[in-house]
Amino acid sequence: MKITKKTIKSSITPTWCPGCGNFGILRAFHSALEELELNHEEVLIIYGVGCGPNEADFNRTYGIHSLHGRELPNAIGAKLANHDLKVIVVGGDGDLYGEGANHLMFSARGNHDITTLVHNNWRYSLTTGQASPTSPQNTVTKTTPEGSIETPLNPLQLALSLQTTFVAQGYSGNYQQLKEIIKAGIMHRGFSLIDIIQPCITFNKDHDFDWYKQNIIELKDHDPKDWQKAYELSSSEREKIATGVYFQNEDIPAYHEQLVQLKEKTLINQWQHEIDLSNVIQEYA
Amino acid sequence: MSQDKPSFNWKITGQAGHGVMLASMLMAKMAKRHGMQAFNYLEYPSLIKGGHQTGQVCADFTCASCQRKKLDVIVIYTQESFAVHKQEITDDTIIIYNSDFEELSEEIKNIYQGRIQQMPLASWAKEITGTTLAANTVSLGVSALAIGLDPDICKQVIGDAFDSQEIIDKNLAAFDRGYLEASKVIDSKFSITPQEDKNILLNGNEALGLGALSGGLQFYSAYPMTPSTGLLHFLNEHKHKLPIVVKQVEDEIGAIHEAIGASVAGARAMTGSSGGGFALMVEALAFAGGAEIPLVILEGQRTGPATGAPTWTAQSDLSFVLTAGHGIFPKVVLTPGTVEEHFQLAQKAMYLAEKYQLPIVILSDKYILESHQTMPAPDMVFINERQSMVDKSELSADESYLRYLDTESGISKRSIPGQEFGLQLTNSYEHDQWGFATEDAQTIEKSVNKRARKMSLILQELPQPKLIGSDQAEITLVGWGSTINVLRETVKALDKKVNAIHLACMHPFPVESFKQLTSTSQKLIMVEGNVDGQGEAWIKQQTGIGMDDRIRRFDGRPFYAEDLVESLTNLEKNSANSEKKNLMGRLSFTGK
Repeated sequence: MKITKKTIKSSITPTWCPGCGNFGILRAFHSALEELELNHEEVLIIYGVGCGPNEADFNRTYGIHSLHGRELPNAIGAKLANHDLKVIVVGGDGDLYGEGANHLMFSARGNHDITTLVHNNWRYSLTTGQASPTSPQNTVTKTTPEGSIETPLNPLQLALSLQTTFVAQGYSGNYQQLKEIIKAGIMHRGFSLIDIIQPCITFNKDHDFDWYKQNIIELKDHDPKDWQKAYELSSSEREKIATGVYFQNEDIPAYHEQLVQLKEKTLINQWQHEIDLSNVIQEYA
Repeated sequence: MSQDKPSFNWKITGQAGHGVMLASMLMAKMAKRHGMQAFNYLEYPSLIKGGHQTGQVCADFTCASCQRKKLDVIVIYTQESFAVHKQEITDDTIIIYNSDFEELSEEIKNIYQGRIQQMPLASWAKEITGTTLAANTVSLGVSALAIGLDPDICKQVIGDAFDSQEIIDKNLAAFDRGYLEASKVIDSKFSITPQEDKNILLNGNEALGLGALSGGLQFYSAYPMTPSTGLLHFLNEHKHKLPIVVKQVEDEIGAIHEAIGASVAGARAMTGSSGGGFALMVEALAFAGGAEIPLVILEGQRTGPATGAPTWTAQSDLSFVLTAGHGIFPKVVLTPGTVEEHFQLAQKAMYLAEKYQLPIVILSDKYILESHQTMPAPDMVFINERQSMVDKSELSADESYLRYLDTESGISKRSIPGQEFGLQLTNSYEHDQWGFATEDAQTIEKSVNKRARKMSLILQELPQPKLIGSDQAEITLVGWGSTINVLRETVKALDKKVNAIHLACMHPFPVESFKQLTSTSQKLIMVEGNVDGQGEAWIKQQTGIGMDDRIRRFDGRPFYAEDLVESLTNLEKNSANSEKKNLMGRLSFTGK
């Protein structure tokens, strides 16, 4: 059955704070799924742990609500088992840039055909607002009362340095653009990292909607084939956050496309009711 | 000297890079092709060149369940081996010394006079093949003559061991040269008359791999770690024949989570590591248990703690594995003993994990995972049916399907992504029957009970304790995992005085059958490879049955039947003097 904005919604009402950026992201995500005319059952969404990933309970598709930071390896395994599925990861900045940063690097290196949506609000909000890997330096939170010391992680440049084949940034308040980015990411054959900037109105008072309004622009006149330019434009020193598709390389096959075993059929469709092991056993005779 | 049904015990020692391990496996295979049972035990340090490696093959027409001490033939590459293996060399041992590397000291020549054959194995290899690489094959030729093996059968083994004809020819020539040179100076110790060979030869890793494949394995992800790496290699070697997906992953956390993802998506999946890697997997183990995800995990124990002694054995992770995972969830811990049982239980684990939708840990160790042992050739074709999966016909457009349906058995039929009308959320949070997260008190209690019910049901499909030997014995040895290989030989040596109980499943513990089996035992002695008696404590906790005595070893080495026999014989003498002593002190192997 085709997904519509209506049928995708579960019976559970979102539990986010009124005004949370997650509402905008979810709306754009639902519209993207509808416009791509995907079926409910062919979409597998794997969620990490955090405010954003709590949408596991609000979506009606197949889902895995994984452990904190571990959604990407779950996604890799699922994709290799059944590459006919559209495998989408929903995580947060603490989730995918902190706890699971290692997996992010290796998912990108393998060019696994997974679309990764990172709800990036520069805070650990589900645990009441501690600093995250993307918090600006000197951010004062309950765990960084003197201001955070670490340099903020730049997810776009990290992804670009790993030759990620689809690198984009969206904004929860720009529905139209975000929806198009998510659609492009899902249709991309390979690993897509979509970093989605969102306000946390409860735990990040420094950056409210007004701040984002003044500091976010759309990326214009950029050729996403130009890796060098993408790297420059995504610098941490940039004056404003420009959202859009920074980089896309369509020439590299996805990981599963390079496995001989999966050339004809998915792994699960190769189930054997009778397993003949004579050609294995004879080697040990 | 010849016997009707002879057995032989052979060893090769050298440095890493000398081909000791390959030669030893080939010797075991040669014995097997003569219709003998064989056990090949390897010792090696954690490095790539140098160090001291050994391979030893015990072969017997009736029973060769473990390594033995007293050697019939030993091949030595470096002089230090004389000191290391002093106690294994007897007055009748034929010593083949590779004289190309070091000149023997006068002292050694004197001590072993008449028993040493100094042979330039590497020079002969170079003359025949152009390089010294095949010195190990020359040594096999010499050994075959010294033991009294049929050279044609041995050469078939060499022919099967290499892919390219050029390498096969070179190695056959190397073998012939060794056999010829030996025939000039050595009298064969035995004359081994070939019998029909119905066995295959595998190590524990390979048997697990074969068993898992026969149980429908489709996806294996792991990070290399001794002693589980052999399984990763085995599956990679054979993956295209099935086919399956085998993947080396960035770390053990990623490895278990990829297997979990594959499993949820419908593939039968497995991961594996040693204790250190398993420690990293433990959070995910609880996820698999709570979210009811079928998963098989190999935990190959080695000497810990931490990095420990990577290439040496231990049985010191049992307590850790039994309690691994936060919260309460169903989990099975299997402890296979022989190579054959590794095959059987891996197959069973694949099936049971899917049927009961839970994680199954196969707890093994370096000793048996990397030792080769003969086992009867199994069937070639295996029936493979899906378990506890929801059928298309049971799914309807009204979307009434519930992933975690609260059933009497505790098992809920599983849908997989892609199935129409089977939508579900596999959830690491506590969840309701659909899969949505819940914090409702009643639902939490119901879910915990539902999962727990699976544990009582699965018990009847798990291996029960096995008694080896006479049921009238005075002493009953109790062991879990690989220890049975040594206990079998001990029981054989002490005939009707001693029997043994082998535990191949430690959790859920087979309480009733263990109680029944031990009800007539006069004296229970626990034999295990750790310092704190983990199996013993667990048995006491589960059954209330305490051991009368205990034998423990924790120096990285396996038990030897000869040592157990000696201890038990001393014990008998001592109890005649009504002196009750703890065996633990007596069997302190460290520093030997």
